[in-house]
Amino acid sequence: MILTYSIGLFVAFAVTGIAFFALMRETDGLHRLLLTDLVEVVTLAFIALVGTDLAEALILPGLVVGTSELIALSEIYRVKEGFNRPPSDGLQIEVMETAPPILAALLVGYGIILSGFSGGAVAGLGVIFYFLSRDHHERFEVIETASGYSWVIWIFAFFTFMIFPERWFFAVMLAGSAILVKVMAKMSIIGTMRGGPNV
Amino acid sequence: MSDIGGVDLFVLEFGDILHYFTPYSLTLFIFALIFTVLVIVARPERQLDIVFGGDAYYAKKTPISERQFRRFMAIACGLASMGAMASGDIFNYTLFVSMVGITNVGIVAAVKSRHVLNAAYEYGIVAMVGTLPLFGGAALILGTTGTLSIPALATGGYAVPLVAKILLALGVTGEGMAPFYAAKAEMFRAPGAPYVIMCSLSSLLIFLRVVEIVITI
Repeated sequence: MILTYSIGLFVAFAVTGIAFFALMRETDGLHRLLLTDLVEVVTLAFIALVGTDLAEALILPGLVVGTSELIALSEIYRVKEGFNRPPSDGLQIEVMETAPPILAALLVGYGIILSGFSGGAVAGLGVIFYFLSRDHHERFEVIETASGYSWVIWIFAFFTFMIFPERWFFAVMLAGSAILVKVMAKMSIIGTMRGGPNV
Repeated sequence: MSDIGGVDLFVLEFGDILHYFTPYSLTLFIFALIFTVLVIVARPERQLDIVFGGDAYYAKKTPISERQFRRFMAIACGLASMGAMASGDIFNYTLFVSMVGITNVGIVAAVKSRHVLNAAYEYGIVAMVGTLPLFGGAALILGTTGTLSIPALATGGYAVPLVAKILLALGVTGEGMAPFYAAKAEMFRAPGAPYVIMCSLSSLLIFLRVVEIVITI
């Protein structure tokens, strides 16, 4: 077995031990929920350690499963504790007024350069941050429309791959930019999840 | 394959990833199918609470929105169990198993009772922690043998580490909760018979299947 893999496995198992010990000691419900997220990260590390293309493809479903369980559990926690009132305002800090446009623009710009799935994630992070710190009474129809069109472009790119394989570069560019817009649009919605009237 | 599952009855190949039935897994699949159909057609039970010291009883009624959600979750749980029975790829199997875990939480979590919600929350945390050994075991198998296909691993020539098998079985136990039921009896205060039974049945099925997988590979 490759030495790096063994070392990585050792570290992952050590982190697992720490995470489980913390879960055992912690009694507060919300903190335990947060600690399970630590366990999820170690899970992804286990898959990532394999380090092949297949492992890269397996991380995504692993991440989706972890995130969906986290969301489901947070919802149960919210209902269980009876938190029904949406939080009133965002953070009232001066830096939250001035920083978002700059940071969001930087992240979105870098995301566009990266393109593809990871670019969408980076750009989406910028948009999440923008929506989180600003008012989110924005026009969601525009984002949804852009997401829908980018999905169509993505499918079109796949058909190009299958029917005109010699135009692969064009198809790669189409798919890369479409998935960028699609992931960004999906992620930006997270930034507005504050239980406001529009969401 | 000559193993406890019996001879292959049906194989659907997508390259390395395949779905297959043996007499063993087909039996489990048919069980899941029958119960899913039952969940679709059955009307939920009306739970009765007897008043102590008298002749009276309360008949609890399940609100229609709650019933719809729980029926949907139970059907999803049945479909995920069927997928786990038919899958011939270890990672697909683990994904179906974790979906069974999520839907099991969903089946009981729609009930607006504090005891049930508390139990469902604890149950959900164990299910979430269970994904670590589950995916960890699958990733270890992939890392040491280079394949995830159960028939390919069954042909021999691969040294699947024992720790990976243990992790896999542990993960399925965590998701399916088989031995944790006794501690979480509160969960079954949730009314609605066919849906709650789906929890037990799906965890039994995924556990029986992981036994086959661990012995085969």
